Amino acid sequence: MTIAAPRRRWVKKNLFGGVWSSLVTIGLGLAIGYVAFVLIRFLATADFTILRRNLALFMVGSFPRPELWRVAVAVLILAVAAGVAGGLINASARLRAHQAGLPVPAPPGPRSLVNGFRRYWPLALLIAVCLLLTETVTPTILVLGAIGILVASSWALARLPYSRWSWSLVVALPFVAYLVLSSSGLGWDKWGGFMLNIFLTVAGILFAFPIGLSLALGRRSSLPIVRTFSVAYIELFRGVPLITLLLLGVFALRLFLPSQLNPSSVTRILVAITIFEAAYIAEVIRGGLQSLPTGQVEAASSLGLSTWKTTRLIVLPQALRATIPAMVGQFISLFKDTTLVAAVGLSDMLNTSSIATSQPEFNARGLARITLPFVALAFWAGSYTMSREARRLERRLGIGER
Amino acid sequence: MKLRLIAALAAVFLLAACTQAADTTTTVGGTPTTADGGVTTTADTGGTTAPAGETTTTGATEPGDGLLAEVQARGSVRCGINEAVPGFGFLEADGTRSGFDIDFCRAVAAAIFGDPEAVEFVPLTAQQRFTALQAGEIDVLIRNTTYTASRDGGEGATFLSTTFYDGQGMMVRADSGFTVMEDLANTAICVLSGTTTELNLATRFVDIPYEPLTFDENDVLQEAFVAGQCDGWTSDKSQLAGVRSAFPEGPDALVIMEETFSKEPLGPAVRDGDSQWAQIIDWVVNVTIIAEELGLESGNVDTFADTENLEIRRLLGLEIVSDEGTTIFDAGLGLEPGWPADVITAVGNYGEIFNRNVGPDTPLALERELNALWTEGGLIYAPPFR
Amino acid sequence: MTPARPPFWRNVKVLRAVIQIIALVGVGLVVYVLFFNVTNNLRARGIRTDFEFLDQPFGVRIAGSDLSPGAPVRAALINGVKNTLALTVVGLPLLTILGVLVGVGRLSANWLVSKVATVYVEILRNLPPLLLIVFAFQGVILRLPPARSPATPFGWFVISNLETHVPGFRAGAGYAAFISAVGLALAIGAFVWWWRTRVQQETGAPHHRWAWSLGLVAVVGVIAYLVIGRPVTITLPVLTGRVVDGGFRGLGAFFAVMGALVLYTSSHVAEIVRGSIQAVPKGQTEAASALALSGFQRLRFVVLPQALRVALPPMINQYLNYVKNTSLAIVVGFAEVTLIAFQAIGNGQPAPQVIITLMAAYLMFSLVISLIINVFNRRLRVVTR
Repeated sequence: MTIAAPRRRWVKKNLFGGVWSSLVTIGLGLAIGYVAFVLIRFLATADFTILRRNLALFMVGSFPRPELWRVAVAVLILAVAAGVAGGLINASARLRAHQAGLPVPAPPGPRSLVNGFRRYWPLALLIAVCLLLTETVTPTILVLGAIGILVASSWALARLPYSRWSWSLVVALPFVAYLVLSSSGLGWDKWGGFMLNIFLTVAGILFAFPIGLSLALGRRSSLPIVRTFSVAYIELFRGVPLITLLLLGVFALRLFLPSQLNPSSVTRILVAITIFEAAYIAEVIRGGLQSLPTGQVEAASSLGLSTWKTTRLIVLPQALRATIPAMVGQFISLFKDTTLVAAVGLSDMLNTSSIATSQPEFNARGLARITLPFVALAFWAGSYTMSREARRLERRLGIGER
Repeated sequence: MKLRLIAALAAVFLLAACTQAADTTTTVGGTPTTADGGVTTTADTGGTTAPAGETTTTGATEPGDGLLAEVQARGSVRCGINEAVPGFGFLEADGTRSGFDIDFCRAVAAAIFGDPEAVEFVPLTAQQRFTALQAGEIDVLIRNTTYTASRDGGEGATFLSTTFYDGQGMMVRADSGFTVMEDLANTAICVLSGTTTELNLATRFVDIPYEPLTFDENDVLQEAFVAGQCDGWTSDKSQLAGVRSAFPEGPDALVIMEETFSKEPLGPAVRDGDSQWAQIIDWVVNVTIIAEELGLESGNVDTFADTENLEIRRLLGLEIVSDEGTTIFDAGLGLEPGWPADVITAVGNYGEIFNRNVGPDTPLALERELNALWTEGGLIYAPPFR
Repeated sequence: MTPARPPFWRNVKVLRAVIQIIALVGVGLVVYVLFFNVTNNLRARGIRTDFEFLDQPFGVRIAGSDLSPGAPVRAALINGVKNTLALTVVGLPLLTILGVLVGVGRLSANWLVSKVATVYVEILRNLPPLLLIVFAFQGVILRLPPARSPATPFGWFVISNLETHVPGFRAGAGYAAFISAVGLALAIGAFVWWWRTRVQQETGAPHHRWAWSLGLVAVVGVIAYLVIGRPVTITLPVLTGRVVDGGFRGLGAFFAVMGALVLYTSSHVAEIVRGSIQAVPKGQTEAASALALSGFQRLRFVVLPQALRVALPPMINQYLNYVKNTSLAIVVGFAEVTLIAFQAIGNGQPAPQVIITLMAAYLMFSLVISLIINVFNRRLRVVTR
């Protein structure tokens, strides 16, 4: 009774605060009930055989099955990289607190496992769903191993003395993973499924970043010719949809290259994505540059720093830090946009839905209602996790609070 | 400021496009060979637009310097395929590819390398396929592609022996009561874009009012048809039959109309200009047909070592004893003698390929009909192997 | 003593000129190499490079249009642009309304409303729009009654998964005269609006702008309607056999694309609305409460006008994104301009020129939208500052 009273007060205040509020609450309540009913009925009655059978196809496309161990090794290597990065972030935060004379937070303990799960529950959900759909026990062992490695390396790095150079490990390990995946002729041309979506996103941002950075600097340059070129590039490619560039990549890119070069369709699409993404990244970086108080540049020039040195030492470090959340936003939007490659014939995860429903045993049975929600879950889990991380970073970096 | 820039940009963009076009036209006009191809355009009443001379020829071919040498050096054949047409080309759950067209890709690889796995499959959309062929992204296109004059002439492709004789038909629900095309007046018809099917539909229904629903992906189209968004679905009859046999309400709920309103010979195509390569592809197809005529199967090739039949001995690369001495037959295609044995061992004869992928025991459950051997009243016929 | 002039390699003016020349040469070189390759490749492959394909017959018919297969590609593309425009004109107001509702809902005092709005935003904006379109088509539109047996609720609508017919109107005799009369009334109404606003500003008398202007337009409209004699008749869709007569119609694919993109974009708009409302200083709301404004009045007269200024630039981006995303309609076969371009390429028209035309069309769209909104934006700034 004593507990119920405040609860009742809470309900009255927050759900039935007035006539309109009560009506809306009741209406929404009914709607939620209906959605929940439909969802439960779907989960209980649907036959997920098509997903069980084709799980590998959705994840890695037609990557040769005898070579799947490469994917497993790459996942483990990436787990190490992620763990190291997490540990280093923690270690550097503690080091900074120590130097500033603030109370030093404890290194991650068992509680941070719970926190980690809370932070990444959408990903955990996706992984759990995938593991439920597997037919063998190997993927489960692999996932558990990867989580173990991630946690272990993060704990270790958080406790080891902090060194800036450890970051090179975080940069190098993904390349090692790529080498493991691509050696023996299994380059990105052969990739498919979710792996292709992830690859196109990461590679697209990586390749577009230097171009975008130059364009952003060019757009703010005082040199009229440089500025005009940059503005022209940015506005041209921001004005057209990605699909037109993908079409260009598929049908016309080869015409712009010497005839000896004959890049594969994945490569051509990657080029199209890079061209497109550079324009957006340029705008993101420009936002960061603009957020910088002019006093910073003035102070730098009063110290006698050259324009180049001002840019490199004063402007960019601060501006790029400020762009991290927006950059994650750009990453998310590209991640979602990689589904467009299905329209030009690449076998990404969304196209795999078409491929799986074209297999003779699953054809013309309306099974898209099973495969599409699964694809949706994968993209949602990835995007939602990243957008939460972006918001966390925004708060941590104190952007928008200046 | 920003606005004015965008405006200027759009204008410059258009201008650049036009002037660049004008420039190059003059250059093309200067060379007599391409100028001719550049203005070839035909437009028959059916509304078929001839591709405006997309390609004439690519690359010279001297024996030993052609595509065969290039493919041999690369170690694999690049084969343009479909990955979402049940029975003809699709991706299995284990990442391997299957289908009628896929088997012919494997047959080519077996002929050249003796290894049916030496294929690099390149999935292509309907719109992309000829661009990819012209650009040399693939060596051979086996992607249920219809052999037509304008494609043979204008798209820079050379079509070879037809592997599958199909015809375009129309499928409707049995309970609709539609029996002839005219019954479909004022209804919606589903069709795949970028195909001859789409053009044939426009020709056949030129006097019948209808709503064309054009889809880019086969699976979305199927869903639309199954849900009854369109009353008719027009496509190659083999594909319609495939969906009909798998239809959730049972095959009898659907009817494929009697009328066949176009011929759809499906077969492999290669780039113009390399006759040796074209001959190889041609003879790979022919060999599967001859093998069926002779009763050679993937499982029984070894049992013919002592056969007296000279054609079989020629096919299998066995020694032929005659007055002039012992010889091994070489057709001069640039392949190892006896390559047909590899093809047959790898993928089987034509009948086996048909039955394995689309035959009565598969979900597609197609009968041979036009695709029976000529000896059984069909159109499948191959020149002699000698 | 004049200071010694710096050597020329440290002279800022010279350096600037040199850098610019380097940039110019660099870009020129890239453009030249690309151009060189293009001309070479085009010549080698014998691809024609003019825009004559625009006059070639398109070859096939287009859903929802009366164009014959013999119509030129140009007409087909224009038809596609019209369809893109239709998606935009219907979609932008809808997504704005929905976005504002959800954005305000996220800040609602009702716990359930704010939670539902949050879930709405977090689910929709983290899904690929392409997937949403396919889903809306296969999961919603295709589940409507099949085309062979449409539903006819109230006799006002004819609904099937192929198309939906709603009541519309038909122009009769004197339609043009009626439209010009109403147009004139709208113009005068706008003037009256301005006049009443001035009256209020100068005398402090209540403006009653809505009553004055709308009243004027309504009175003129009714008089014109009666004088001209039924220039416009309302028509209900009537189903006879397979043919529907009267009313307006929209294809199922249109609603799938429009609905999916409105949901997707509205989730982004909701975030913008929420952010910009939160950017309005709290003191403003408190001051409004002190003036005894009601909750709705606080929102309508104090918070939203200020939030609008913050929200406008990102909103423009969302509108442009919406227009660009309509290109995804190709997956469900709605004949907007990208699908027409796809079809043209598939039926043998030269790809480079088709794509260039397509890009130019989208640039024009972006331009027009920025133009309209910039005019609005400028006005807003002048008024509020």
